[in-house]
Amino acid sequence: MNRVRAVKMILWMITGFAAAVGITRFIYGLGATTNLSDSTPWGLWIGFDIFSGVALAAGGFVITAIVYIMKREEFRPIVKPAVLTAFLGYVAVIISLLFDLGLPWNIWHMLVFWNPHSPLFEVGWCVMLYTTVLLLEFSPVPLENYSRYAKIRNFLMRFRFPLVLLGIMLSTLHQSSLGSLILIMPYKSFPLWYSGILPIQFFISAVALGLMMVTLESLFSGFLYKRHAETVLLSKLANAAVWVLTLYFIVKMTDIAVSGKLPLIFNGSWESFLFITEIFVSILIPIGIFSVARFRMSIRGLWFGSICVVVGMVLNRINVSGLSMLRGGGDSYFPSWMEISISAGVVSAAILVFLFAIEKFHVWEKPPRYPESEPSSRPQFDIPSQVWLGNPLESGRTRYSLAFLMSFALAFALIPGVDIHSKGAEIVTAEPARGGDSLFIDGNRDLYGVSFNHQKHISENGQKESCVICHHMNRPMEKESPCYRCHKLMYQPADAFEHEWHYNSKGGNIRCYQCHTPGLEKTALSAKKCDQCHNGLFPTGSRIIAKQYMAPSYVDAMHGLCVNCHRQKALTDDSKKDLARCGKCHESVPPDYMKPDAPGMNKRPYFNRVLMPGEEKVLKVVD
Amino acid sequence: MKAILTDVTKCIGCLECVSACKSANKLPMDIPRLWQKNDGLSAYNWTSILARPLEALSDHKFRYIRKQCRHCLEPACASACPVGALHQTPDGAVVYDSQKCIGCRYCMMACPYGIPRYDWESPVPYIRKCILCHGLIREGKQPACTEACPTQATIFGERTDLLTEAHNRIRNNPDKYINKVYGEHEIGGTSVLYISDIDLDFMAYKTHLGTKPLPQTTSTAMKSVPVTFVGIGAFMYGIHWIIKRRNDLKEQSKSNEE
Repeated sequence: MNRVRAVKMILWMITGFAAAVGITRFIYGLGATTNLSDSTPWGLWIGFDIFSGVALAAGGFVITAIVYIMKREEFRPIVKPAVLTAFLGYVAVIISLLFDLGLPWNIWHMLVFWNPHSPLFEVGWCVMLYTTVLLLEFSPVPLENYSRYAKIRNFLMRFRFPLVLLGIMLSTLHQSSLGSLILIMPYKSFPLWYSGILPIQFFISAVALGLMMVTLESLFSGFLYKRHAETVLLSKLANAAVWVLTLYFIVKMTDIAVSGKLPLIFNGSWESFLFITEIFVSILIPIGIFSVARFRMSIRGLWFGSICVVVGMVLNRINVSGLSMLRGGGDSYFPSWMEISISAGVVSAAILVFLFAIEKFHVWEKPPRYPESEPSSRPQFDIPSQVWLGNPLESGRTRYSLAFLMSFALAFALIPGVDIHSKGAEIVTAEPARGGDSLFIDGNRDLYGVSFNHQKHISENGQKESCVICHHMNRPMEKESPCYRCHKLMYQPADAFEHEWHYNSKGGNIRCYQCHTPGLEKTALSAKKCDQCHNGLFPTGSRIIAKQYMAPSYVDAMHGLCVNCHRQKALTDDSKKDLARCGKCHESVPPDYMKPDAPGMNKRPYFNRVLMPGEEKVLKVVD
Repeated sequence: MKAILTDVTKCIGCLECVSACKSANKLPMDIPRLWQKNDGLSAYNWTSILARPLEALSDHKFRYIRKQCRHCLEPACASACPVGALHQTPDGAVVYDSQKCIGCRYCMMACPYGIPRYDWESPVPYIRKCILCHGLIREGKQPACTEACPTQATIFGERTDLLTEAHNRIRNNPDKYINKVYGEHEIGGTSVLYISDIDLDFMAYKTHLGTKPLPQTTSTAMKSVPVTFVGIGAFMYGIHWIIKRRNDLKEQSKSNEE
């Protein structure tokens, strides 16, 4: 199979996959599609698409500076592809930003509502302006194909130098300002990646990355279209990159040494390993390869070195923008497959546009040969049906559409309903019931209670799926269900009325039907009220009324019978307002009888308050 | 500048402030979600109570600490917001304008206390955090949480008055309190102050926050933006001019030789 066709097909597939996910993101929001959370508000989309994307598109300003400012005319053949890469890179950044922003339709607000204190405001403006500049820089190339736009093209060509200069000025600003974004988080970032001169580091590394990205792009398209690579030219870029990388290394390490952070590199934490990996991949290995002329002049050496720099610098941007902060936030984050596919899809789409531009316009001095330009893939006349048909096996368009649609459908099939509708409740590790399978439940702490057989409840209600019936995560503000949610009669033999004594021959010695109306279910409602037998139970004129209801526990009685009433009263009567307030009875340190190890108290923290991470374990009392 | 002073030793953890906050700000029910941090705050919970064990664990004594937006005097979130959706009112409350927000979540990254929360579930999400009930303050009332507190553990007033009060309490009970008013100087001072008998440094990302206001960290870089912009342009044009002149001279000498 043809190389171009295979690569394009894979790219179309990834794009199709991302398209389905992208639609889901806009319909159901960030929570449904990403693994972002309150502790990690910035994830892969910021780290890879924005921070790395902007840096990866630095090739445009670096190469234009070399050719137009430093007048190194030998690099002119790679200016157009470099500007095109940069332009598409910035468009990709903006499109990814639309996915990442919570309210993407408000992106124009940056033009109207100004906050010049914010580095992000400056980055936003620069990116917008620079994308425009890049568009103007590149548009003469496609305009070349249409003679009626010759005037516009000539006009743009006349302003080429000012545009290039403006582009360099804007690039310098926002490449460095991306570093300034992080300056406001000194307490969050890991010290190895936090530095007052982060903007300068970002700028220098962007220059190195720009050089290497141009190299990689040139190698990739050369490989794709089986084109002779400009090895001599690229090795000159590699040579320049060695100097820039060395400067970057010196600046970075000096800064770390001066601020006394050197020991952090070798302290064995995962951040230190990450840092060492980053330094080796992004700086030391490429310097090692490109310093040797033999490797620098070989295609394989160029491939390896440029990939190292690109991967290493992307790692650096991801580290700075979030990965290094994970410990500070006390949380973990790994991008969801939907985030990854969107990132991959945006990159794939950008590459597809790049290939399209290369094939259609005069980006290269010699236009490439690609399958659609070859006679064998032309649509052919189909004799039986008498129509022109593309050969379905040969026609690129059919293949690409099919690839796009198939993976689009696949992505839709893969998106789980749970992810779309809710992220679910907080996952809590289940622990077996205290005291083994059966539990002695004593709601009012009078040492009279019921024995609760956990295993029986689980097996009778449908095994594992039954947990949520009692341990609710599906009802807001409810930790667990009381027994009476299901056992509606459980309060019947409550402490106010001793069933056992009443029907016992040694006690009340009365039969069931003497209280409960025969024929009806034996519930509290079908029974006589207390005062129908016990004459004079309540003194005449008492406000207490005999009711047939579940007897409350002590806590419920105090809160329910006193506080609720006083609270109602307090709305109109200010004189006894304090009686309705928690602080009337409760003190900041609870009295002895409320402590968990007091007799009759359940052995667990007596308040369902939010504990800090890690404290749950310490507090859990093991029987 | 209005402020809130919370005396941790007086809090009984009754959650009256939390429920008052919910009803005053008309916040809906909240279901714990994966994307919420385990500190009780969320898009729908603007204040929460944290329990910290006191002294030895066997005592089962707790201190309850109310977490809420600190309303910094020089807020990092407001400085970070690219469209100025977060801003400070004259009363000192740091409030949010959902009409301006673009949803970049830079404020969440910038806050050293990790306060702003996001409405992740919604397709039209907004930033949510305590707004110091600035509507009530403007009417001359106090915020719902301090109004609801049954033990006067959290009180509202002028920042200077509350600072005096806090120092008085510490002076009168030097054995009870840690000799520090949390929020007096950290990152330039906050409007929500705490006095406590346990260490409250766990409330922020790092245990020891400096006294330097966070907006100052980026201001140097931001001030140098125009200089850099013009400077790099002039520098690049200078290089261009020199190289062009050198090339021209070379060509001239070449043509002269010929």
